[in-house]
Amino acid sequence: MSTDAKQPLLDAQEVTVRFGGLVAVDAVSATFMPGELVGIIGPNGAGKTTFFNAISGVTKPTSGRLTVRGQQLAGKGPHRFARNGLARTFQTPRTFGDMTVRDNIAFGLKFAGRRRRKYILWGEESGVPWVLRTADSILGLIGLSAQADLPAAAITPSQQRLLEIGMALATRPRMLLLDEVAAGLTENEVEEMARLIRRLRDELDLTVVWIEHAVTTLLRHVERVIVLHQGKKIADGPPREVVRNPEVIEAYLGDEMNDENDESRAEVTA
Amino acid sequence: MTSRQFLIRDLLVLFGLTGWAVALPGFASEFAVSMALTCLMYIALSSSWAMFCGTTRYLSLATSAFFGIGAYTSAIGLESLPWEQVIVLGALVAAAVAVVMGAAVLHLRGTYFAVLTFGMTELIRHAISYFEKSVTGTVGRVLMVVPERETIYLTVLLLAVIAVALSIVIRRTRFGLALQGIGADEQRAQTLGVNTRIVKTAGFALTAAIAGAVGAAMSVRWTYIDPHTVFNPFIGFQTVLIALIGGAMTLWGPLIAAIVFSVLAETLRLQVPQLYMMSLGLLLILSVLYLPGGLASLRTDTFKGWKNDIQAWWTDIKDDLSGETKRRKEREKKRREQRHVY
Repeated sequence: MSTDAKQPLLDAQEVTVRFGGLVAVDAVSATFMPGELVGIIGPNGAGKTTFFNAISGVTKPTSGRLTVRGQQLAGKGPHRFARNGLARTFQTPRTFGDMTVRDNIAFGLKFAGRRRRKYILWGEESGVPWVLRTADSILGLIGLSAQADLPAAAITPSQQRLLEIGMALATRPRMLLLDEVAAGLTENEVEEMARLIRRLRDELDLTVVWIEHAVTTLLRHVERVIVLHQGKKIADGPPREVVRNPEVIEAYLGDEMNDENDESRAEVTA
Repeated sequence: MTSRQFLIRDLLVLFGLTGWAVALPGFASEFAVSMALTCLMYIALSSSWAMFCGTTRYLSLATSAFFGIGAYTSAIGLESLPWEQVIVLGALVAAAVAVVMGAAVLHLRGTYFAVLTFGMTELIRHAISYFEKSVTGTVGRVLMVVPERETIYLTVLLLAVIAVALSIVIRRTRFGLALQGIGADEQRAQTLGVNTRIVKTAGFALTAAIAGAVGAAMSVRWTYIDPHTVFNPFIGFQTVLIALIGGAMTLWGPLIAAIVFSVLAETLRLQVPQLYMMSLGLLLILSVLYLPGGLASLRTDTFKGWKNDIQAWWTDIKDDLSGETKRRKEREKKRREQRHVY
């Protein structure tokens, strides 16, 4: 993509989300550069999903600034975020059950497609990777070609997660926000999902922000990780450094010290 | 069939029905024509209602408000304006009111939306009643200039055809897809780039425009109108009932149900008026329980399914009565015990 490498794709400044008296996200700032693969982790109730909702426009932040490629979008509707190249998936797949898998993909192609204006002007979709131009090639990319004509409600939960990613890709995003796409998948499926995500990032030049509850999986695949705890950002950096951060260890120890986290730390620090 | 073949089929069916309806006044009795007029009115109202409210699942009870606004526009404008302009004006005024109303209530969903649309309908009705009483000093309006019966019939027919044709065409456009997305999962549709506020307002205004035009055309049938006849909430309820019984998500459901209703209404109301409302209620209960997709979802398989269900139910009862169920359970118990011996 020809965007200025120095300009951040998304610049979130002091984003705060308050639900009544509860501060779900407390003045979190984070900058996402083009081509980054960033993970967000945090114990239960740390505000990961709420922060995600805020940076995709689903929840209006109580205060703070969200600058997408120089444009101020805080407080705008989710469709503005989508049209500016921010696509997201949901924790529980929210596909259109009555429509076929292909139509689910075509939906995003019809509405968000950030090159729409150019499409009208030049008569062709310049700058859109060929693989994102038709519903069928997107289905091929995520590996759901065989299910194209089935209603979306009829495919398996792990295929639904892939379809969620496909629907997000159909909006021709610059930035893909993934909310626990690997939850509830088998180990093999998780590996496959991680490979797909890396491939999308590399081949389509996307920025990927990935929330996962299973820390092990995430730390193995991302290049930078943001740790949220009780609504605040407590660490931001490469996985190796972050797992040594005493504050992070404290947060996880204080919350729940399960085998998985222990294992992940051992594995990454090794 | 491909999508294009479906489009051609639907348009042909509509064309055929239109031809039949145009010819009707030529051979049918006056009674039949007046029945057909009511029928066409409800086809227009519930088809346009289903087009927005059915697909997006925004259950609006404001149809009678738009109908009444159209009727009043017509009553006021008919003396100075030609017929066609009166109808268009009725549609425009109703659509304008819908845009304002939509801005206030379209961010609500479900019961809140339904109740608020109904509340606003009542508000408009009482506001006009009050205005009539205290400012104009009348209760209603007498319509002096009334067009031919034939003209009224053809106008309402045209509006019904427009309503059905719009339903056919819109579901194939980007706008229709957006409406479907809103009905399936509004927030998901937003995150995929749909500006839901504009789409919803436009859809609501379109529905209102048709209801307003129908109101403008139908008002002349009464020759005397007052707020309580034209803002009658029953018009709104009946529109919703027809669409639900016919199948609010389907294309032909509202039309089929409107025909069934008008026949029921005219035959029952004359002979046994009490039975009319009762059978209406019964039909709604039955369709919600056994035909959630509406009358339009009836297929031969549906009947076969019912037949099988009834047969299974009947066999169960027979077995129970003859003691066969008891004996079967004993046999199964014995078999289990035999297995446990080893």
